[in-house]
Amino acid sequence: MTVRRALVSLRGVSKTYGPFRALDNVSFDINEGETFGYIGPNGAGKTTTMKILVGLISDFQGEVTIDGYRLPKQKDEVHKLLGYLPQNVAFQEWRTVDQALKTFGKLSGLSDSEVEARIPEILELMDLSDVRYKKISKLSGGMTQKVGLAQALVHKPKLLVLDEPLGGLDPLSRHQFKQLVLKLGREGATILFSSHILSDVQDVADRIGILNFGKIKQIGSLNELKQRFSASRVIEVLLSFASDQWQKLGAVEGIETAEQPSPGRVLLTLQSEIAADEAVDAIVKATVKLGIRVRGITLLSPSLDEIYFNYVRESKNH
Amino acid sequence: MLYVDELHGFYKSRVMIFLWVGLPALAILFRFIQANATSSTISFTVISALLVSSLAGTLSAVMISVSIINEKNRHVYELFLIRPIKRRDIIIAKFLSVYTCVAIASLLAVLAGVVADLLMGSNLSMSVLNNTGQSLEISLSMIAVACSAGTLIGVGSPSVLVGAILVIYGANQISVIPLIPTLLNLQYEAAFTIGIAIFVAVILLSAAVLLFDKQQF
Repeated sequence: MTVRRALVSLRGVSKTYGPFRALDNVSFDINEGETFGYIGPNGAGKTTTMKILVGLISDFQGEVTIDGYRLPKQKDEVHKLLGYLPQNVAFQEWRTVDQALKTFGKLSGLSDSEVEARIPEILELMDLSDVRYKKISKLSGGMTQKVGLAQALVHKPKLLVLDEPLGGLDPLSRHQFKQLVLKLGREGATILFSSHILSDVQDVADRIGILNFGKIKQIGSLNELKQRFSASRVIEVLLSFASDQWQKLGAVEGIETAEQPSPGRVLLTLQSEIAADEAVDAIVKATVKLGIRVRGITLLSPSLDEIYFNYVRESKNH
Repeated sequence: MLYVDELHGFYKSRVMIFLWVGLPALAILFRFIQANATSSTISFTVISALLVSSLAGTLSAVMISVSIINEKNRHVYELFLIRPIKRRDIIIAKFLSVYTCVAIASLLAVLAGVVADLLMGSNLSMSVLNNTGQSLEISLSMIAVACSAGTLIGVGSPSVLVGAILVIYGANQISVIPLIPTLLNLQYEAAFTIGIAIFVAVILLSAAVLLFDKQQF
């Protein structure tokens, strides 16, 4: 197994706006060549994290390094390495796609000849060749977003930071955009991708970080998150025929709650300290004892939505 | 590079197109008024400079402040600020590009006045040329101050409305400062006018750069 180097590292990062704590002791790494999905509800602190990473916010507590360069001190070095697509990308109204790419390419350090060679490549990649000389202000939202990604990629950055890149896109554009991110990921780009739409992150990310109220709730691959969650969470019991006896399953040792979302389908939430196998064993014994005929018992593998809502709900309660 | 880039955006903006055409038209109009007027205690050079530069100055100050406020509020600068450039370069490029455009428009306006004179059969005496030069120098000085005030207002204002009010009631008034040596009939009037304009513009621009540097995007 190849151990990948951390390209991005955040340690104990906190940021306050007056009395409001936008980030609270956030720590995580993004490895080289990895696509890291950053999810959380609106106001969770995703954009603040991203703005710190791209050097737009300089007054924060904690340590942030990108490829060994510390922020905000070595901002100029970091700026040479990154491409950034902000949440609501905007260009000056007079700019054409060509002018935007030329300007941002040159400002990122490309020479005139490098920019001239790179623009057709990037337009081809983004399927924007037909609108090269059109004003960006005349393009649709989806096309503008593509120009936004094009300007982030024009100088072939080491790190790509995409803040809610799929916001406002129609389903086809979303699909195309995700395919593009996947392609960039396969080519070895390191990508930080934020969204509050979970399926988007699920489709493109190697690892996922869940953020809420400025705190990291969980980090891991989708499989790791599912395992952690299902190991202590929900067991589905399908009854052969509806029975009032199901409520008694709530009293089984290790079961926290029992609910019947539809007749014959019982969901049992486990207490956090009990192992899933022990709980299944106890449930089987209880059904036999109660005379409940069972068609099946399944340890539910949660979707990312369920994992996410669980952590978001959890932090609301705390 | 940013200067050329901004220039590219400004020279064909709607306001600039109005100035490219409007200022020369106004200058020709003033020449006609000057030709018909015989009794006045104030030099027509001063009046024409004041009118042309006041209009051009106010418009350029509005243009630069509205442009900065809009771009700030739409987060346009984020794409610049994440690149290895200095924040001050963005502001200075913006100022220089607007100033260049408006200065050229003013120059064209003065030239239009001179051409109108020639077409009307006037002689281009030394005194006329001196007055024209003086008019141009005052105009350019006032426009420099108006543009720098517009830049500061643009950086500091939260909304276009506030910016426009501040420009009309602030930048416009500040822009007459370079006119003081002319009104006081000082010796070395030209040097004083240009010196005062540069001094005020540098102060205002420095304040704009400092403020922009502190802002969070």
